[in-house]
Amino acid sequence: MTHEVPTYIGFEEYSEHVPASIPSAVQQATDRFVSGRAARVAELPQWEELRQIGSDIRVHTIENMDVYLIQLEEKVKAAGGTVHWAETAEDANQIVLQIAKEHNVKTAVKSKSMATEEIGLNHFLEEAGIEAIETDLGEYIIQLAGTGPSHIIVPAVHLKKEEIAALFSEKLNINAPADPIELARIAREVLREKFLNAEMGISGGNFLIAETGTLVMVTNEGNGRMCTTMPDLHVAVVGIDKVLPNWESLTVFLKLLARSATGQKLSTYTQFITGPRRAEGEFGPKEFHLVLLDNGRSNILRDPVGRDVLKCIRCGACANVCPVYKNVGGFAYGSFISGPIGAILSPQILGTQAARELPYASTLCGACADVCPVKIPIPTILRHLRRRVAQGDAFALSTIPVPIRAAANLASLVLARNWIYRLGARLLPIINPFFRKNDWLSGMPYPLNRWTNVRPLPQFGAGFRKWWKVRSAKGTESTR
Amino acid sequence: MVEGAFRQRNGIYPMTNPILENIRRSLGSTIQTPLRLPPAILESRQTASVDSEVEIFLNELKKLSGVGQKLSSSEIDSALDTLVKEQNIHKATVWETPHLRQLGITAILHSLGVGLVSPNASKHEMALCDLGITEADYLLPETGTLVLNSSVEKPRAVSLLPRIHLAIVRPEMLRADMHQVFAEAKENHYLVFITGASRTADIELTVTLGVHGPRNLYVWMIDS
Repeated sequence: MTHEVPTYIGFEEYSEHVPASIPSAVQQATDRFVSGRAARVAELPQWEELRQIGSDIRVHTIENMDVYLIQLEEKVKAAGGTVHWAETAEDANQIVLQIAKEHNVKTAVKSKSMATEEIGLNHFLEEAGIEAIETDLGEYIIQLAGTGPSHIIVPAVHLKKEEIAALFSEKLNINAPADPIELARIAREVLREKFLNAEMGISGGNFLIAETGTLVMVTNEGNGRMCTTMPDLHVAVVGIDKVLPNWESLTVFLKLLARSATGQKLSTYTQFITGPRRAEGEFGPKEFHLVLLDNGRSNILRDPVGRDVLKCIRCGACANVCPVYKNVGGFAYGSFISGPIGAILSPQILGTQAARELPYASTLCGACADVCPVKIPIPTILRHLRRRVAQGDAFALSTIPVPIRAAANLASLVLARNWIYRLGARLLPIINPFFRKNDWLSGMPYPLNRWTNVRPLPQFGAGFRKWWKVRSAKGTESTR
Repeated sequence: MVEGAFRQRNGIYPMTNPILENIRRSLGSTIQTPLRLPPAILESRQTASVDSEVEIFLNELKKLSGVGQKLSSSEIDSALDTLVKEQNIHKATVWETPHLRQLGITAILHSLGVGLVSPNASKHEMALCDLGITEADYLLPETGTLVLNSSVEKPRAVSLLPRIHLAIVRPEMLRADMHQVFAEAKENHYLVFITGASRTADIELTVTLGVHGPRNLYVWMIDS
């Protein structure tokens, strides 16, 4: 996958030209996950309580992130692992490349990871001559196809089995049938070879437990286990926001995550990895490296409203219920993360300049906040980011054209002051004679002509308050 | 950078880490007092009788396309015989734990004509096995989950590389829930929860078993 850091995400442009196959495929997936989630949630009477506890723990962790990261580093080191700190995507890529070079790595197997997507690690390693192979079936398919993910859980859902068969036939030089089970079997065989022969396994991580320095990884296919078990070298790239205080708190998130993501009680495989193998002769990697990725997260902490985005546990439930996402799919969000969570995370990581359209990629219906397992107030953050986009912030200037910004400022000035509003309402009828045609107003100057070209406007009359007074007086009389 | 610009923390950390510095700078302006840990984690689940816990476990396993059954130790011979024939097993690898040794698993397999690969053989050899036999360290009834840890005697690959995974377990391994397992096992350097067979729905949402891990999961609950 080619993931250069985007400098501009054209959500509007894309959403006007969504390929016809996207909404139907994406909606099949989201419907499946929405009903699965609903069934699991209904089984659990303490669900709302769990969400609240989950939210509280994440807030607590975010507000004490430095303390937990220090503890995490100590514990990982004590377990025989190595900790690397990466301030930027570039730093993280360089660190991974350096480790790979030191170990003479030619091939790396990768399990699905949002963090490595975020930093564009595959592309970076490929350029340095190291083969980086995605091993999650869906990720493998889209890597072969050279596209990005259309859904967080099922990234290749936009492709029909016939298209995947054609892709396998072309890229693997075989005759692949258009049958999902056969295609999965082919991928199993091809990737089995890679697992057994790769010198390095690269993973992300769902959680990091500060208490013991443990990396927690959740997968269904078993590729996550392969990547972290077969090669002698395991490198995990994980965002600093993934840290949790202890194992007790982890129980809450393991209960919330799979239910919210896929409608499972637990995903098939959950691994808890504390450093490399302990004993000579034990099966498992000899070396364990943890790359802690900042890439803008410590700046996000500065914003008390926006930083709630860091509570996210990447379940994708918000996307599954989002009416906008269901119609445009994952590509539209132009970055490693899509859906409502992408709309509030990308502007904070890539900046409100590059991702200025994303906070508007929402109807603010609030369905996302209702399902979020850690209660991220997504609509509130969307509105907050819209304000940052419009007014500019510490990192970027406003992206709104000056006349519109001036008009908006004027409007907010007027609407906030009753007397100006009243005065304006009285004065407006003065302009009627200039634009009046047959009792209607038309042909107003730019930018008002955007309205009046389409339909004329009734004349301004200052009489609403007067009319209302008279009307209510009459009404009171008649009911008496 | 002035030390006082950061929040007061127990145990002064050397100010050489720019990420930690920036976290403190960012939080410092908005956080007044660090919170205490939210105490309200839900309590551990109440368990029922051992028999009903076993039933819950086997029932959940079934929902996950796993095959579970209760056996007495004398029935293992015939059960293995059936499994080897049904699944056409030629090669197997077995955890070298006292309990599996006591049950004589390797001898039974040998007598059935199954080739045995040492669990400490190379990964390439292990990958040729049809069957991997493990125990479990803990069982979670509510989710039908096997919890395995790792050691020289308990290689991680046995439950991963062969196309069939058989776990021979005992009711004593049952725990109420994750809370109990974590309390007992969190100091282990490796743990894996196995909840059903390897699965994917990545192609047209069709559920496919055995994409990278084992296609079939068997769990035999041995009455002791």
